Amino acid sequence: MKASKKIILLGHFGVGKSSLIRQFVENTFTSDYKVTIGVHILKKEVEIAPDETVSLIIWDLEGYDDIKKTRASYLLGTHGFIYVFDITRPATFENLENDIEYLTNQYTNTPLKVVGNKADLVTKTYLKENKDTFGIKPDYFTSAKTGDKVDDLFTTLAKELVK
Amino acid sequence: MLETYRGTYFHPRTQFITIDAEGNVLESDNVLFSLKKGDAIGTLSAFFEGLAAYFDVAEDNDIKFTCIHLENRDKQEFTCDIEFKTFANEQPTLIIIHDFSDHYKYYQEVAQSRNESVINSQVLELQNKYLKEKEDFKNTFIANFSHELRNPLTGVTAFCSVLQKTNMSTEQQDYVEVIKSSADHLKNMIGDILQMSKIEVGKLTIEEELFSFHELIEMLEFTYSVKAKQKNIEFELDFDENIPRFFEGDKTRIKQVFENLLENAFKFTSTGKVTLSIQQNQRRARKVNLNISVQDTGIGIPTEKLELIFNSFTQLNNSQKYSGTGLGLSIVKGLVDLMDGKITVESEEGVGSTFKMNINFKYPINQESTSLENKSDIESKNFLSKQKYNILLAEDSELAQMAVLKILAQEGHFFLDIISNGEDVIESVIHNEYDLILMDIRMPGTNGDELTKMIRSLPVQNCKTIPILAITANLFDDDKKRYKKMGMNDIIEKPFDETTLLKKIYKYLK
Ligand SMILES: Nc1nc2c(ncn2[C@@H]2O[C@H](COP(=O)(O)OP(=O)(O)O)[C@@H](O)[C@H]2O)c(=O)[nH]1
Ligand SMILES: [Mg+2]
Repeated sequence: MKASKKIILLGHFGVGKSSLIRQFVENTFTSDYKVTIGVHILKKEVEIAPDETVSLIIWDLEGYDDIKKTRASYLLGTHGFIYVFDITRPATFENLENDIEYLTNQYTNTPLKVVGNKADLVTKTYLKENKDTFGIKPDYFTSAKTGDKVDDLFTTLAKELVK
Repeated sequence: MLETYRGTYFHPRTQFITIDAEGNVLESDNVLFSLKKGDAIGTLSAFFEGLAAYFDVAEDNDIKFTCIHLENRDKQEFTCDIEFKTFANEQPTLIIIHDFSDHYKYYQEVAQSRNESVINSQVLELQNKYLKEKEDFKNTFIANFSHELRNPLTGVTAFCSVLQKTNMSTEQQDYVEVIKSSADHLKNMIGDILQMSKIEVGKLTIEEELFSFHELIEMLEFTYSVKAKQKNIEFELDFDENIPRFFEGDKTRIKQVFENLLENAFKFTSTGKVTLSIQQNQRRARKVNLNISVQDTGIGIPTEKLELIFNSFTQLNNSQKYSGTGLGLSIVKGLVDLMDGKITVESEEGVGSTFKMNINFKYPINQESTSLENKSDIESKNFLSKQKYNILLAEDSELAQMAVLKILAQEGHFFLDIISNGEDVIESVIHNEYDLILMDIRMPGTNGDELTKMIRSLPVQNCKTIPILAITANLFDDDKKRYKKMGMNDIIEKPFDETTLLKKIYKYLK
């Protein structure tokens, strides 16, 4: 039987959660901003080995500025988290350390990826020089716009989920 | 009747579905989504797949989800609340879907405009911060760079004075004069730039001292009458004699405002007249309000450029004909602002410009008994009591060492000790009785201001009172204050010329 795994994207509004999912699922990007309310749920089959696929059920949540406001029922039965922030807006990573600590305490064994998105808006040098300003070292710097590291992010997480 | 209304207006927007332990549909009323018996509930939305673990739970459970986006087969979107109920007895699991699309559509619009405005203001704030950082960087850079330029200039001006005293032909004398005046010009421009950058980073403060305003104006009248003659134009002063004689204010800065405005007027006027008018507008207890204007018959300023005139680095007329940094007017504006005054400009191209200021000045009530010590410091050398004076120069720049050495040597009554390392200064102060110390600020080892503090606390006679003069190009106002606080008596600004150096030294020697 094919495994299906639920993952949730968390983070402030406007950081690019919906865009990352759209890029991953449909390979498209739009610069129009449509605010997500509640949850959109999308599904994608991911090949994690030559003969093995896992179907990722991706929950795109409304962004909150306080992670603890996330409705508990949404988090039910989650297999993995992706925490997204916008590297160009400090307000979206001000609480990064606390949020990550909260998640790792509450969901000890649930894999978690920390992602700095909108990497296309800054130079590589900027990222190198400023990687310590986010409080925590992100697992990925992605761009939903160019698609950079997006597949990598979801596929790597998917592999960890079936381990 | 109500039943009729109910039939007309009430569309049931709630769907009931029951499923078996594998998540296959048992029954569905298909009010919103059409499902057949046996369909996997997951085909309606991946949402339900995430709940698979709860399909066969035999407990009383009621899990509520709000604001879930679902689509029907025709890709029509619904925003729904979903209840997921399991039961302890044999009853099948029940799913209730409430369609609240209208309500959530409204909520989405509210959230949209709220989020957009939050993000926009954050982005704006960041842009401002970025701009400000850039601006600060620019100003600090300019300030530091101008400092650095002052050091070598000290060498040039000081040695020009020394050179002028050697045997030279008239031709050579003329050349030195040219070098000196070029260096002075350069010094003025660097001074302008430094001052502008200080104004912009808010490091300039207005000091208060008692001075004769009338004397200042007389001096300006003299200088600019001469200048007008040379340029073959007229200079007129219209001065209200009722204005109090003495003011309490920052003489240097006030003078600079007048000079910059007058220089500007002269620069752009080749025929006609420059008029300086100073009128008393109002007089209160200890304040007098003046209307000041500088009018010229020069080339004028195009209307569209009037707004830019006080910006830094704008010289409207970019031709080679008018030299200068273009900072004169922005410095004026900065200084007038610091003095809480107002400045405006009116101009017509080809006719001339008028700069108008309105400034409050403080004046002492008792003008009669106000006596200003008017002795020239350099004359005080006639009152020297000793034959020879011991002077310590703590300075690491060889150029500056040479300059001081040459200047003092010509005077003939100084012994000069030179130490170029901060650490050796204290040692030397303990073992020698100096009459005066000239102290560079930036030195290897320990800084001059720190050294001064140490010297002041030495348990050696005379260390408390020995005059210590700073020689430095570090001239932000808070630096000056700090030097004074550390126990320095006075400051000699780099680049210095012979007269300034000697004036200050004689002032402090008894
Ligand atoms: N330049 C750039 N813009 C992005 C990127 N990701 C998202 N955006 C833009 O950021 C805005 C918010 O994106 P969205 O995905 O709706 O953010 P969400 O609220 O976290 O779901 C939209 O205008 C996107 O076009 C990215 O990687 N680069
Ligand atoms: Mg979104």
